[in-house]
Amino acid sequence: MKIRTMKLRDAHKSDDSSSLCSVLWASNGDHIVTSSSSDNAICIHDAITPSNAPKFLRNHREGVTALALSPNSTCLASGSIDHSVKLYKFPGGNFESNITRFTLPIRAVAFNKSGSILAAAGDDEGIKLVNTIDGTIARVLKGHKGSVTCLAFDPKNEYLASLDSLGTVIYWELQSGSTLHVLKAIAPNNGSDVSVMNILAWSPDGELLAVPGLKNDVVMYDRDTAEKLFSLRGDHVQPICFLSWSPNGKYIASSGLDKQILIWDVDKKQDIERQKFSECISCMSWKPQGNALAVIDVMGKYGVWEPAVPSTMKSPTEDIPNLYSKSRHDFLLFDEGEEEPSASGSLSDLNEDTHGEFEEPSRKRLRRQSNYDDDAWDQDCNDELESIPKVEVHKKASYGKKDNPNGKSGSRKLMVAADQKMQEAFQPGATPAQPGKRHFICYNMLGSITTMEHDGYSHIEIDFHDTSSGPRVPAMTDYFGFTMASLNEKGSAFANPCKGDKNMSTLMYRPFSSWANNSEWSMRFEGEEVRAIALGSGWVAAITSLNFLRIFTEGGLQRHILCLDGPVVTAVGNKDELAIVTHVSPSLPTDEQMLEFRVFNIPHGSQTLRGRLPSTPGSSLTWFGFSEEGQLSSFDSKGVLRVFTNQFGSTWLPLFSASKLKKSEENIWVTGLNGSKLFCVVCKSPETFPQCTPKPVLTLLDLSFPLASSDLGADNLENEFMMNNMHLSRIQRSIEERAASGHDTTSLDDEAFNLETSLDRCILRLIASCCNGDKLVRAIELVKLLSLEKSVRGAIKLVTALKLPNLAERFNDILEEKLLSETVGNSKPKCNGSSKTSEVSRVASSIDHPLPSTTCFLGKRNAEELTKDRNGKIEEKEKTIELKASGKLKDQSVQVNKVAKFDQLTSARPANPFAKAATNQPNSSLFDSLKKINKGSNL
Amino acid sequence: MAGTSEPHASAFSAAELEFLAEDDMIEIVPNLRMDTLNFISGDFGPFRPQIATQVPLWLAVALKRRGKCTIRSPEWMSVDKLTQVLEAERDSEKFQPLPFHYVEISRLLFDHARDDIPDIYMVRSLIEDIKDVRFHKIGTGLEIISKERTYALRLKNLSAMEANIIRPFVTRALETFYKLGSSDMIKESDQAPNRQPQTTNRGPRRQLKDR
Repeated sequence: MKIRTMKLRDAHKSDDSSSLCSVLWASNGDHIVTSSSSDNAICIHDAITPSNAPKFLRNHREGVTALALSPNSTCLASGSIDHSVKLYKFPGGNFESNITRFTLPIRAVAFNKSGSILAAAGDDEGIKLVNTIDGTIARVLKGHKGSVTCLAFDPKNEYLASLDSLGTVIYWELQSGSTLHVLKAIAPNNGSDVSVMNILAWSPDGELLAVPGLKNDVVMYDRDTAEKLFSLRGDHVQPICFLSWSPNGKYIASSGLDKQILIWDVDKKQDIERQKFSECISCMSWKPQGNALAVIDVMGKYGVWEPAVPSTMKSPTEDIPNLYSKSRHDFLLFDEGEEEPSASGSLSDLNEDTHGEFEEPSRKRLRRQSNYDDDAWDQDCNDELESIPKVEVHKKASYGKKDNPNGKSGSRKLMVAADQKMQEAFQPGATPAQPGKRHFICYNMLGSITTMEHDGYSHIEIDFHDTSSGPRVPAMTDYFGFTMASLNEKGSAFANPCKGDKNMSTLMYRPFSSWANNSEWSMRFEGEEVRAIALGSGWVAAITSLNFLRIFTEGGLQRHILCLDGPVVTAVGNKDELAIVTHVSPSLPTDEQMLEFRVFNIPHGSQTLRGRLPSTPGSSLTWFGFSEEGQLSSFDSKGVLRVFTNQFGSTWLPLFSASKLKKSEENIWVTGLNGSKLFCVVCKSPETFPQCTPKPVLTLLDLSFPLASSDLGADNLENEFMMNNMHLSRIQRSIEERAASGHDTTSLDDEAFNLETSLDRCILRLIASCCNGDKLVRAIELVKLLSLEKSVRGAIKLVTALKLPNLAERFNDILEEKLLSETVGNSKPKCNGSSKTSEVSRVASSIDHPLPSTTCFLGKRNAEELTKDRNGKIEEKEKTIELKASGKLKDQSVQVNKVAKFDQLTSARPANPFAKAATNQPNSSLFDSLKKINKGSNL
Repeated sequence: MAGTSEPHASAFSAAELEFLAEDDMIEIVPNLRMDTLNFISGDFGPFRPQIATQVPLWLAVALKRRGKCTIRSPEWMSVDKLTQVLEAERDSEKFQPLPFHYVEISRLLFDHARDDIPDIYMVRSLIEDIKDVRFHKIGTGLEIISKERTYALRLKNLSAMEANIIRPFVTRALETFYKLGSSDMIKESDQAPNRQPQTTNRGPRRQLKDR
């Protein structure tokens, strides 16, 4: 084997004595972080252009002994001889917090795979597990006799392995905090020498734990049984002081006190490459991409060894094991913990415990009588710690779910789940829990329910947006830790997930007013957990972890229990209807959630709708609900709003796309919608959800189809055209329904007629822009879509004015055809000819003709009104067109604009007889005119 | 109008100006549901809780008094914006563009919507400062009237309150200059020392106004 030399650069000063140095790669490979135990600075080097001056972080007072980067490289943690563990933003390097302190120097820090927990240990007794969000100490693991020199979280997040300077390895189970295996004196005993550290490392797939052996070798231990599997023995002549797995787990680099690095092929148990140095290498780090190894020696000199693995062999970053397929199983084990905002609170309780206080606020009610002896405390701790993995799952879910379209979530401290998975259950209009802040657990167009954790209890407030008509609901203290809520005019429902064995999942309903006392009720669920709740008129629905849909009446009667096909995503109620979204199967490899929705009619006991819920690839559902008109709607994390319609045999229409707005710095948090507007809260990126205070102000956004960019250049018109068509078809459907059930349809007919006229107006404008754009075929298609005879005549006049006699002739043919088919249609009722005009429109237009309409379901009085109204409008329109035609066509586009303006004027029905016609002069008071005179006099 | 009866004291009172300013539009966030209101000055609403809408200031204040809305402080009333304006006002000779009724609007909002304005003390002192700087500028600016013969003054971006304060003085001063400068006057003074001013003055004064 060849021996090469490598040039190292100075990074940290060293006072001639060997010191413990550390080196890390950022996950994107752009930066190298180094530190030394004899230097208080942490150094961030630019790996791409090494000539750039490194950035120094001098926050520690003494030497830095340990470094760790969160898995997404947004957060850097450092431990120091000065007893503190500090967090920094990365790669910016801004100091964030002193996350924890010890009484003796720190020797090791490590992040878990989600970045939510930081483990730190050193000469103190005990390893601290710190929650990175709020800095609370989740647990202290005690058991090592010597100072802990290395910590390693198992990649599957089940275990923590730690090694002390006496060579003892302990496997800790994260969930319970108990020791699984204690392997005494298997690694070299360094005594009190702190310049070298004992090290251990999990293989990237989590199956092997590598520990330096006593015979200058690397020994592999089994993940679960901690049995010694095999060892890598070779040319190290002195004990190994550092080792590092290549990112794909195929190779391992080991450095010995004999000042050399060996690279091993783990499968062949053979060393394949070596490098001699002038000093002992105290730390190494594989570059996450490519084939390079960063090394730093005990004198504080660092360098990059590239290529570390001979280029003839497989790259150390090829085939990085995807833990996801395996870990999904684990997630499913824990996902009872979703939507658990109080988890951080319970961790903070533990924090107090670890400082010797046995007063546990959140437990008071459960164990008021019990004596707190050590055993009880231990058990408590176990209960609480079970929530740790849950917390992580929850965070992943919530941040993954709110993943903003630009992926600019880098400022978040926590990583966004890199791998897409089946999304967690959520309540529409809920925001993630934030420690110390109030957050929404329910927000709809009626009001909001907010909660804030405080001393182990939560305070829940219910506010109605309309303060004048909504009932005043007193704030309530929540002993259960509710995370789900639902609100309507009558009452509110709450539910909490279960926490450990003692805190069962509970569903509670509070009516706002009732003639009877004590009409509030609650249900407890043993062995199952509420995932989603919904509220309707006179019923409460809860969907549980056993995929049961439980329906209760307002009074608390258990009415129905149904089985659902898959795990629930969300549920929402509207009057009699309950809509539920469930998973059909795991998400597709293209990151598409496979979701299904169902709509139940609760009083009728029927299922009115069922189908697949479409979604944008790579997105997850973020909002689901009913529009004000009762149409089912969904909004996904890519900002696409879909509304369910009856067109084309019941389909979803994309009615809004946030990406079309081209406002990348804003995120939309949907609260509701009506027929033409989307109600939402606009949040400045990177925030994806609003805070409770100040009260968010809703923004109205126009619904619009995500149209392709047309050569016509009249996108607004085209959009209006499609919107009108959609509304028209909806109204016609409801007219049919009401007519079928024998109800009066007058008001709907009015609405339909107004829509038709506005649709015709829109079509006329489109025709004009088609003519200007020389798209004559399109113009003819549009004329065929006109529903009123007068509009067709208007179109003819328009094209004549535009000097397109050819087109006018064709329009005439179409008109004649139409008139002919209408007369036929009138004499033969229920004859659905080829005419595109709907029944209603035919009815409306037939009124013009002397022939009596047999299909007419309009009242006579109404029909007369309609005719009058319409005639008036159309006449006006004709007048403008004539006017225009008489004038010389100077600029066609200008004229079209004129038509448009005129149309707007005619459409704006003067609701107020005193209102000024022109809106640009709203102030018409006497004083105003005087003021103007005065202004003039000042000039 | 106060000025019609007595031509020289054409100033409005502050209350009158405030009344005029109340016609300016402002954005409110209602917390009630109400249909469109039809007024002589136009239709306002419909009002839906938590959805911002534009109404005249007088309506906003009326709703605010009844606790039916929160007023969103106008964009120019933010600390950032006002700081900028103040700096620009100090640096340049010209007047910065501010709403014509900025004094009155801010006064109304300070009186009625204290809780809706973020950093109210800061905003208030900034507006006071801006007002002072502008009045000072006006005061120094008026010196040009006396320096050379002036028949008209052009003060761009002058606000209602400021114009109101200088109006009696400026109009009278200009009028006097005009009188003194006009050849009629000179002739008149030559021929008849006992002048009969009111009737002859009417004509020239009107001309001035039209300019």
